[in-house]
Amino acid sequence: MSARDLLKAQQPLAARWLKLSVGLGLFGGVLIILQAWLLAAVVDAVAFAGAGLGDVAPWLWPLVAIFLLRAAVAWGGEQTAFRAAAAVKLALRDRVVRHMQALGPAWLAGERSGALAEDLTRGIEGLQDYYARFLPAMTLTALIPLAILLVVLPLDWLSGLVMLFTAPFIPLFMILIGQGVEAVNQKNWKQLARMGAHFLDVIQGLTTLKLFNASRREADVIARISDDYRHSTMQVLRLAFLSSAVLEFFATLGIAIVAVFIGFRLYQLALPVPDFLAPPEISFFTGFFVLLLAPEFYLPLRSMGTHYHGRMEAIAAAERLVAILDAPLPTRAAAPLTLPAAAPLAVRFDDVHFAYEPGREALAGVSFDIAPRQRIALVGPSGAGKSTVASLLLGFIAPTSGRVLIDMHALAELDLEDWRQRLAWVPQRPRLFVGSIAENIRLGRPEADDAAVREAAARAFAADFIEALPAGYDTPVGERGAGLSGGQIQRIAIARAFLRDARLVVLDEATASLDPASEAAVQRAVDALAAERSMLVIAHRLSTVRDADRILVIDGGRIVEQGDHATLSAQDGPYRRMVQLLEVPA
Amino acid sequence: MSELLRLWHLFRPYRRWMLGGFAIALVTLVANVTLMAISGWFITAMAVAGAAGVAMNYFTPAAIIRGSAIARTAGRYFERLISHEATLRQLAGLRVWFYRHLEPLAPARLQQYHSADLLSRIRADVDALDNFYTRVLVPVLVAVTASIGFFLFTALYDLHLALWLLTLLVLAGVALPWLTRWLGAEPGRRLVETDAELRRLAVDGTQGLSELLIYGAADAHARRLDAVSRELIEQQTRMSRIAGLSQGGVGLAANLALFGVLWLGIPRVAGGELPPPQLAMLALFALATFEAVAPLPLAFQHLASTLTAARRLFAIVDAEPAVIDPPGPSPRPAHHGIEIRGLRFAYSGADRPALDGLDLDVPEGQRVAIVGATGSGKTTMFNLLLKFWAPDAGELRLGGAPLADFRGEDLREHIALVSQHTHLFDASIRENLLIANPDATQAQLEQACGTAQIHDFIAALPDGYDTWAGETGVRLSGGQARRIAIARALLRDAPILLLDEPTEGLDAGTERALLDALRVLMAGRTVLMITHRPAVLAEMDKVAVMEQGRLVEQDTHSGLLRGERYPRLLGLDAIPLKHGD
Repeated sequence: MSARDLLKAQQPLAARWLKLSVGLGLFGGVLIILQAWLLAAVVDAVAFAGAGLGDVAPWLWPLVAIFLLRAAVAWGGEQTAFRAAAAVKLALRDRVVRHMQALGPAWLAGERSGALAEDLTRGIEGLQDYYARFLPAMTLTALIPLAILLVVLPLDWLSGLVMLFTAPFIPLFMILIGQGVEAVNQKNWKQLARMGAHFLDVIQGLTTLKLFNASRREADVIARISDDYRHSTMQVLRLAFLSSAVLEFFATLGIAIVAVFIGFRLYQLALPVPDFLAPPEISFFTGFFVLLLAPEFYLPLRSMGTHYHGRMEAIAAAERLVAILDAPLPTRAAAPLTLPAAAPLAVRFDDVHFAYEPGREALAGVSFDIAPRQRIALVGPSGAGKSTVASLLLGFIAPTSGRVLIDMHALAELDLEDWRQRLAWVPQRPRLFVGSIAENIRLGRPEADDAAVREAAARAFAADFIEALPAGYDTPVGERGAGLSGGQIQRIAIARAFLRDARLVVLDEATASLDPASEAAVQRAVDALAAERSMLVIAHRLSTVRDADRILVIDGGRIVEQGDHATLSAQDGPYRRMVQLLEVPA
Repeated sequence: MSELLRLWHLFRPYRRWMLGGFAIALVTLVANVTLMAISGWFITAMAVAGAAGVAMNYFTPAAIIRGSAIARTAGRYFERLISHEATLRQLAGLRVWFYRHLEPLAPARLQQYHSADLLSRIRADVDALDNFYTRVLVPVLVAVTASIGFFLFTALYDLHLALWLLTLLVLAGVALPWLTRWLGAEPGRRLVETDAELRRLAVDGTQGLSELLIYGAADAHARRLDAVSRELIEQQTRMSRIAGLSQGGVGLAANLALFGVLWLGIPRVAGGELPPPQLAMLALFALATFEAVAPLPLAFQHLASTLTAARRLFAIVDAEPAVIDPPGPSPRPAHHGIEIRGLRFAYSGADRPALDGLDLDVPEGQRVAIVGATGSGKTTMFNLLLKFWAPDAGELRLGGAPLADFRGEDLREHIALVSQHTHLFDASIRENLLIANPDATQAQLEQACGTAQIHDFIAALPDGYDTWAGETGVRLSGGQARRIAIARALLRDAPILLLDEPTEGLDAGTERALLDALRVLMAGRTVLMITHRPAVLAEMDKVAVMEQGRLVEQDTHSGLLRGERYPRLLGLDAIPLKHGD
C-alpha cells in the first residue's frame, strides 16, 4: 500500500462532511457572483445614469443579505471541513494503535519508541489539512472557476478566453514543481522523526551525560541538529514558495490582461486588427462585473497551491503510517482453540529453535516440561536464551522450528488472548503506566474492587509503603515510577500478578534489584504466589532457585543440565560451579 | 502579559529578521491594495473618458498596475522565505536555550516529569512559539501600520468614510481577535494539555506494550488512547468553531466597509463632489484593505496556545536547579579522600529524611562498601557526592575542601560512577564510549574494553565498534551494558569511583567476570560501593552499614559477620543456606 492509497482509502470516512463542505463552498461561489452583479449594477447606475441613493436602494439591500449569508457560509465551511478530517484522524489513530499492539513487542523492539509516539501524535495530525483543506479545495477548484466562466463567456467571450487560457498554467506548474517538493518533503519528515528520537534519547540519558560532563557538549549537538533541520526545511519551502509564486504570477497576469482589455475597449481605442478579429463591444456594467469576478476566478486555483502543501505533508506522514500498517502481523491460527476454564496448563517445549536473525540461533533445540503447579527456574549466563524462552511462552515470538505445547495443543493454534488470560508476568524492569498506583495494580483486572487491590498489595509486601504515601493507592505514578524505588516498583508489579490470579506466572529476574532484606520479603511473596500456580522463574539468585521443583541450566541456547537443587549441587556440572560462586566465602 | 513580555525578550536577538519580514510584508500588502484600487479606477476612468470621447493618459495607471502586480508576487515570495528562515533560526535557538535550562535541573528537578512530557516541551511547545513571530508579531505590526495609512488615504476623499473604514478595521482587527482570544483561551490551553496527555499514552503504549498484552490491558489502553484522541478532536472542534467565526467575521466587516463606501459615496457622486472613477476605486480599496487585518483573529487564537506552550517552557526554565554552582573557581583537592560529617537530607514531600546525620570517612585509596536496606539512604549519599542534590545540613569534603566550593562539573571530573542502569545512547558503541572521554584513541577504547572484558564481544560484531547501540541498536544483555559502563569509567580515569550495585541482576558467571574487571578498575582509586553481594563485600577494606540515613556499624566484612544486624541484612539468616553437600 502506498501513502496515497492509504489517504484515498480513508476518504469514505470523511465523505459526508466533505460533500457538505463542498456544497457550502459552491453556494458561497454563487453568492460571490450575485454580489459582483449587484455591485456592478450599482456603480454603473451611479456613474453613468446619475442615480442617487434612493434609485439604487433595491440593489443595496439584497447586497446586505448576501454579506450575512456569506459570513454564515464561511463559518459552516470551516466546521464541515474540520469534521471531515476529524473522522479520519480518529479512526486512523485507533487503527494504528491496534495494529502496533497486534504486531507486538517483537516488532516494537526494532523501532524507536520516540518516533512511534511521534507518528501517533503529530504524524496523524499531519493528515488534517489533506482532508480539511486539500480535498474540498480540489473539488471547488474545478467547480467555482467553471461557474464563473459560464457566467462570463456569454457576456464577454474575450475575457472568458483570457481566463480559459491562463487558468490551465496554474495546475500545470503546480504539478511540475510539486513533484520535486514532495520528494524533498518526505526526506524532511524523516529528519523530523529522527530529531524527535534524538531528543527523547538525550532527555532519558541526561543523567548519564551529566556524569561525564558531556551534557553541555550536547547543547551544540542539539543546535547542529536543529540547524540541519532548518536547512532541509528551507529546501522544501523555497521550492514550495516558488511554486505558489508562479501561481500568483499567472493569476495576477490574468487579472491584469482582463483589466487592460476591458479598459481599452471601454476607451474605444481602435486596435489595428482586421474586422473578423475585432474584440466584442462591451458596456461598463459588463466590464466592471467581469473585473470583479476575475480575482474570484483565480482565487480557488491560487489557494490550491497553498493546500497542495498540506497534501505533501499528509503524504509524508502517511508514509510512516503505511510502514507501520504494512508490517505483517504474526500469523495466527484461522480457528484458534480456546482451552477449557479448568485446563491444567501443562507446558511442553518440544525441540524449540529460535533465531532473531537468520544464522544466529538464540535457542538451538530446547525441550522441557512444566507440569501444573510446578516451579521451574531457568538459570544460565546472560545471552544464553533465558528471555527468549519466556518470550516464546508469552507468545511474543513463535519458534522457527519445534513447538511450544500447552496441554498438548500447539501454542500457535491457541487463542492468544485466552492464553494470556491465564498468565501473569513480572518483567525485569516493570513499567508503571500513567495513572494511580491502584490503577497500575488493577492492570490485569480493571474491575477489581479496592479491597482486592489492597489484599494483592499486602500479599506482595507492598501495602506498607503504599499506605505510607500521603495519597496512598491514589498516588499518581508514571513511566519509571517517579519517586518509587526499583524494589517498590517490583512489588507493585508482583501485586499486579497477585490480583491477576493467573494460573501460570513468568518471573524475569524479579528479585534482581532488591536489597537482601526486601528480597527475602519478596521471596516469601513469590512463594505464596507460586503455591497454587505453575511458575517459570528466570533467576540468578540462589535463594530464588533453591526451592524450585526443577532447575534448567541453559547455555548457548541449549539446556545443559536439569534437576533439583540437591541433585544438581551433588554433581560436578555448570550448576555447582555457579552455586560456589554465589556462596559466601567462609 | 508578563509571558508576552518574556517572549518578546526571547525574540530580541532576531529583531533584524523580524524587521525585514515586517517591511516586506507591508510592501506586499500595499502593492495588493494598490493593484485592486487602481484597476477599479482605471476601468471606470477609461469608460468615462471613452463615453465622453476625451483623451486620457492611460500609460501611468497601466504601469502602476504592472508594477504592483510584480511587487505583490515577488513580495509574497520573499516575505514567506524570510519569515520561515527567521522562524527556524529562532526555533533552533530556542531549543538550545531550553536545553541549557533543562540540563542543570537533571536529575533532581526532572524526576516529576515524564520523559515524553519533556520531549513534547522541547519539540511541540518550542515549535508552538514560532507562532509568536509569524502569526502574531509580524501580522499585528503590519496591520497597525497599514491601517493608519489606509485611514489617512481615505480621509483625503471623505473623513466620514475614513472613520467608518477605521471602525470596521478595528472591529475586525481588535474586537474580533479579542473575542476569539477570549473564546479560545480555554480550549487552547486544554488542547496543549490533551496533546501532551496523548503523547504520554502513546509512549506508555509502545514502551509498555509487553505488559499491556500479557495483562490483557492492551484493548483498554487502546480505548483510553482513543478517548483522549476524541477529547483532542473535541478541543480542536471548539477551536475550529472559533476559527470559522473569525473568518466569517472579517469577510463581513470588509463587505460592510464596501457598503459604507456606496452609502456615503453615492450621494456625493450624485452631488458632483466625487468623480465616478474615485467611487469605483474606493469601493475596491475598502474591500482590499481587510487583507491587513484578516490574519489577526487567527493570530490571537494562536496566541492562546502559544502562551500555554510558553508557560510550560517557562515552568522548566524558571525551576531552580537543585544545586547552584559557587561563583568562584573550584578548589584543588589536596588528596582524594572523602569526609562526611552530620549529613542531613530530605526529599521534598518525604515524611522522613533520607539522610539523618551521616558520618563517614573514606581515606584516599580505600575501598569502602555501603550496605543497608532499601531507603536507608545509600543512593541519596551518592547523589549528594555527585552534587546532583545539595545537603540540608552537614558537610561533605573532598581532599579537605568543602564540596560546596566545587562547581558541579569540576567536582565530577574527579568521580566516575557505575550504576545498575547504563543508558546507552542511540549511537554507535564507539560514540557511547567516547562520552566518557571524547579524546580517547581507538587503542585506548580497545584497552578499556579489554579490561572491562567486553572487547572480544564488540570485536566479534560485524561492525565492531561502529555497531549501533541504544534503543534501535544491537541488543546488549544487562551484563554487557554494565561492562560498557565499566569501560566508560576506565576511560574516564577518575580518582574516585562510585559503584551502585554494579553486579546486581547478573548471573553468577557474569558477576565473576565483571568482578575481575572491577578489580582492575578499583586499583589505586578511592572507592565507595553499594552492594550486598558477600563475594564482593569480602574484598573491601571496610564495610559501612547504614540504617535510616545513619551509619550504624563499620568494620571489615568478617568482623561484621560476627554480629547480628549484618548477617540479617545480607539475608544470610532469613533463609538458612542449604549447602548441597
